[in-house]
Amino acid sequence: MTKGHRRTTYKTTGFVLRFIDYGESDRIVTFYTNDYGKVKGIAKGARRSKKRFANAIELFSCSTIIFSKKPRQELVLIENCDVINHYPDIRTDLEKTLTASYLIELIDQFTVEGKRNLQLFRLLKDFLELINNSDYSEEIIRFFEIRLLKHTGYEPVLERCIVCNMPIDRTENPFFNPKNGGIQCVKCRHNDFSFIPVSIGTVKMLLMGKEIEIDRIHRLILSKKSLKESREILGSFIRHTLGKELKSLQVLNQIKRMTVQS
Amino acid sequence: MTGYAAPIRRLIQELSRFPGVGEKTATRLALHILTAAEEDARRLAESIIEVKQKIRLCPICFNLTDKERCDICRDATRDKEAICVVSDPDSLVAVEESGSFQGTYHVLHGLLSPIDGIGPESLRLQELLDRISHDSVREVILATNPSVQGESTALLIAKLLHDKDITITRIALGVPVGGDLKYTDKMTMAKAIEFRRGM
Repeated sequence: MTKGHRRTTYKTTGFVLRFIDYGESDRIVTFYTNDYGKVKGIAKGARRSKKRFANAIELFSCSTIIFSKKPRQELVLIENCDVINHYPDIRTDLEKTLTASYLIELIDQFTVEGKRNLQLFRLLKDFLELINNSDYSEEIIRFFEIRLLKHTGYEPVLERCIVCNMPIDRTENPFFNPKNGGIQCVKCRHNDFSFIPVSIGTVKMLLMGKEIEIDRIHRLILSKKSLKESREILGSFIRHTLGKELKSLQVLNQIKRMTVQS
Repeated sequence: MTGYAAPIRRLIQELSRFPGVGEKTATRLALHILTAAEEDARRLAESIIEVKQKIRLCPICFNLTDKERCDICRDATRDKEAICVVSDPDSLVAVEESGSFQGTYHVLHGLLSPIDGIGPESLRLQELLDRISHDSVREVILATNPSVQGESTALLIAKLLHDKDITITRIALGVPVGGDLKYTDKMTMAKAIEFRRGM
């Protein structure tokens, strides 16, 4: 065997972002790892082997992963997974499961394979623990979104008008422009009515939620109006950035409709 | 494959479309069919046509059937007031083969999977709710897989039936019969302790 074809083994920690069954008993799994970013690999016999993959290939569970790969090979070979945390309180709560599904879909959509981003790994870990250990609140989703955008380089400009640089404090009736990715003051709006009106209070809360330490984040409580505004501006910006609506959001809306009717 | 006559090539191509069947396996199967008695090949072809023509979904439980209603729904001795909810016909067969359930079933034909865009509207969930509101139902057993998707599907059904006068139960989790505790994973072991029973 030539040197170029040698298989190297790696050990890391990662979250399961998605998996699909493949063949008779295999699974193709996408992990988000702390050392190698997004990693996609094949877990041979994953649906049969109770020893090598015992319950580790479950959505958003965190595991120690051993995988091997050859140079320039896209799909790695997952050799062993050992669960560190399977977040039992998320799994036994429908709203928490739906929220966690949305977070992992966001991570999956905003990342490419093989690019390490430790901040993003910590963000996912912190927020899954937050959801697991506390009561569900919509604020968690919004603060995750704004932090994700920051760590992936898509941070919207909220501190000032993106056209005239007027600080948000001195802006009257600011608007959010998803196409330009930031706030525009009423003067710079130029009668474009596609912008989303947003209050200064909402913007300030999002700016705080972006920076505050994770153990103090539950102190930030958004009013109903601020929740609605932040859902609209971040939702429209994410939709514009990705060019599509996330599937987990569509399912979330279906479930909301169904549970309201019943 | 070019060395084979056109009809054999066509058969190999068709067989290699089956899940988990590559070109080599397809070739082996095709050559087996070729050397088998004509009667055997005819029976195989007829049985393929037969399942396509005759198999449909039971309008009550959505199990696969070749009759107007499936055998279980037609069976007068089955307890119609107990419904066991399963994700697919394979799971129904697994519960049925245990011989420990004498009620009826409801096959959802899938599980919730938000990340894949599979929501309640993609499942036979509304049909289950309609069935429960029309018929007299005493117990609903949620027998979906103990995976994230299976659990969330069970949680949603439990939520939708919460205000109805029905006992909602979930299949138990624990150590398999004949299993070895030292090879049982942490999660299953924790569930086995949680769901321990008095003796």
